[in-house]
Amino acid sequence: MPAPASKRRIPVSHLGMSDPHQLFDDTSSAQSRGYGAQREPSGLGYPTASASPQGAFLNDPVSNMAMAYGSSLAAQGKELVDKNIDRFIPVTKLKYYFAVDTLYVGKKLGLLFFPYLHQDWEVQYQQDTPVAPRFDINAPDLYIPAMAFITYILVAGLALGTQERFSPDLLGLQASSALAWLTLEVLAILLSLYLVTANTDLTTIDLVAFLGYKYVGMIGGVLMGLLFGKIGYYLVLGWCCVSIFVFMIRTLRLKILAEAAAEGVPVRGARNQLRMYLTMAVAAAQPLLMYWLTFHLVR
Amino acid sequence: MAFTLYSLLQAALLCVNAIAVLHEERFLKNIGWGTDQGIGGFGEEPGIKSQLMNLIRSVRTVMRVPLIVINSVAIVLLLLFG
Repeated sequence: MPAPASKRRIPVSHLGMSDPHQLFDDTSSAQSRGYGAQREPSGLGYPTASASPQGAFLNDPVSNMAMAYGSSLAAQGKELVDKNIDRFIPVTKLKYYFAVDTLYVGKKLGLLFFPYLHQDWEVQYQQDTPVAPRFDINAPDLYIPAMAFITYILVAGLALGTQERFSPDLLGLQASSALAWLTLEVLAILLSLYLVTANTDLTTIDLVAFLGYKYVGMIGGVLMGLLFGKIGYYLVLGWCCVSIFVFMIRTLRLKILAEAAAEGVPVRGARNQLRMYLTMAVAAAQPLLMYWLTFHLVR
Repeated sequence: MAFTLYSLLQAALLCVNAIAVLHEERFLKNIGWGTDQGIGGFGEEPGIKSQLMNLIRSVRTVMRVPLIVINSVAIVLLLLFG
């Protein structure tokens, strides 16, 4: 009884025992046993800070100054980080991609599975800046891709578990493998956009968002594969592949082939043809990657 | 399928090394990809070949010194950790 009680009270009561400025307990063996016996009666005095010796630590002017200096240093550091973080991670731009609500997520998921009836794919603008995803279903967001990626990892773990092939490092392997493919895709598309000299307003984060939408179809396919076997997997994956293909073509056409697609005319000319090929290649890569990243999970 | 982020980094390092090794006089000029052979005036569309040549030249110029550092680090790490 005395040993656990004193152990619990050591962090709060050791300050009053010796010199108030000493921050760390002197744990040499001869003294600690003596402390253990003395701590019990004074441990109860901690809540009344001003009267007991523990309160002397906080009222001492030197310690006050030290605390004030420490807190001002922390505030300065926080200011510095806040000012400079925008240079490395565009935090304000990222916030735009997470401005979603439930209705948007529901409609977007419906659009990802059934994009055939949607007519207007243009993103609405509001004085030169795109409207937040909450107000426009065509705007890209990062919430769905991020959630879908994490769910894909979990579903992969589930699928491996049902086949007795699970081990925790396999989960990390799946995650880094999917991330590596995503990075490779983004780099390849950025390189092709540079080579084709397409002057788009397609930012890197937009691209990551669009490429992340395929995880939704992958999750659907794997879950159906777990419930209904290979037939269910192929059916749902086929459906999701075609949907993602149509979705990507309709979305990227507006971004990459901006001038021609806006009027709806079929594109002619070498320059536009090259851009059309690029759009089709990007869209065709999605079903391939969807199959490649999931076929080993369904047996 | 062990395609990790680390293997992506290794592949990227090897690719950049490959681009940096292309010699201007001995090789690129002989296949018509020298940087003084590609400038086609101020037309609006540079074309893929001149974009590629520009890319190769800028990679070689920019990455010459950082590649020395990164390669040394990679060599030391591979020697120590296999």
